[in-house]
Amino acid sequence: MPQITPTDDQLFDVIAKEALVDRALLNRDAALEDLGIASLDVISVLFEVEERFGIIVEESELSDCKTLGQLMDKLKARAQAAA
Amino acid sequence: MKRIAVTGLGALSALGASVEENWRAALAGQGGIARCVMGDSPHGPGGLELPMARVADGYDARLDAAMGHPVAGGLDPFAQFALGPALEALEQSGLRGHPVLSERTAVIFGHGLGGLATLESGYERFFGMKSARMHPSTVPKVMVSAAVSAAAMAFEIRGPVFATSSACASSSHAIAQGAAMIASGQVDAAMVGGSEAVSTAGSVRAWEAIRAMSPVTCRPFSADRDGMVLGEGGAVMMLEAWDHAEARGAAILGELIGWGMSSDAFHITQPSSDGQGRAIRQAVRQAGVQDRDDFLISAHGTGTPLNDAAETLSLVEVFGERARSMPVIATKSAHGHLIGGSAALQATIGLRALAEGLAPPIQNFTRRDPACDLDLVVGKARPIAAKLLLQNAFAFGGLNVALVFAAA
Repeated sequence: MPQITPTDDQLFDVIAKEALVDRALLNRDAALEDLGIASLDVISVLFEVEERFGIIVEESELSDCKTLGQLMDKLKARAQAAA
Repeated sequence: MKRIAVTGLGALSALGASVEENWRAALAGQGGIARCVMGDSPHGPGGLELPMARVADGYDARLDAAMGHPVAGGLDPFAQFALGPALEALEQSGLRGHPVLSERTAVIFGHGLGGLATLESGYERFFGMKSARMHPSTVPKVMVSAAVSAAAMAFEIRGPVFATSSACASSSHAIAQGAAMIASGQVDAAMVGGSEAVSTAGSVRAWEAIRAMSPVTCRPFSADRDGMVLGEGGAVMMLEAWDHAEARGAAILGELIGWGMSSDAFHITQPSSDGQGRAIRQAVRQAGVQDRDDFLISAHGTGTPLNDAAETLSLVEVFGERARSMPVIATKSAHGHLIGGSAALQATIGLRALAEGLAPPIQNFTRRDPACDLDLVVGKARPIAAKLLLQNAFAFGGLNVALVFAAA
């Protein structure tokens, strides 16, 4: 499957759906912990990101991500590195 | 024993996402069965085209909107299909946020199979794509109790919560179980019903292998019937102790007055009129209505050659020749066979029929079969004088349930 670099909006959609968080609460500065996004939710997001954009990232690569922006930048960087 | 009122109804199927949409379509003779191609995936053996009655696309977004917060993403479709009707039934009952939910309410839903879509997509990754990583929500989405847990969490219901499973009779066992809990005084209210989402690529192949599926459509009791058609969706009813409902001035939609359950102990797929008759006899005797004639019979009516003939025999065994003059409806011809969710949906439509004094027609019927010589409602809807509803549900493995409701 070809890799596609997702937009912020597309990633917000995936995170809202997979982590069951209100889409309106999502912004780049929000902390994962404050949004109630746990490690299992992050894994759900990774599965969906792989399905939709072909980006394969292991959970262990994201352990230092504290905010949504950091998480999204890691995912985008992976897509761009492969492109 | 406490009397049992029905104070809320909710429904979802190919006919629509509310009781009213389901009732209107059934009454008008509009069907939800259409030809579908299932399993057109890169890792599968190729698509299979067959008639099915599927819930309209985009239901997950509708559910999130109705609940007011994201919930669908954490649920397999089978649980989504129970949660929407649960919300509709609870809101109609007026019990949302009521203190009775805190401890004195049960949630019991029946499902034949559980989270097939989730299981299949997990196995497609595992076997098809050779990925060793399984999605972390696989088990919580697949488990057959996922829907009751979702409803309990969504509506903060903290009484007895569990699922029943008896193939095509699952939701009728759930209704009977909730009724027994109210009758015994264990709870004051019960959210009961069931759902199913079997239209997945692997599952439809398995259903087809049983050789009980029609390649064309569902024609219950028709001489040329040639099998069942799978449907999707669910239905939920709020049962409530009569005195509890009356004390709070709730609108009462019907009364559950009898339930009978039996096992054929005979065959894993073939029906037995003896076992079916025992369930019906128990239900009408418990209700004390065995001598009444004013029944509307909502038949199990799958449209398979064996089922409909056996069901006719069982009705005649219980009621004698009087059975032949009781109006019979078979709404699987409209919404397909929801497996675990069927009985709850059919009872919901049957209760609407009692309330309106109108029986919806059996769809796709072409000509009479001497082995099914009953007063079938065919062609178009018909006025009825019935005050009692008999709902039959007969499952693979010979598990039978009959429910008797009285008009409000």
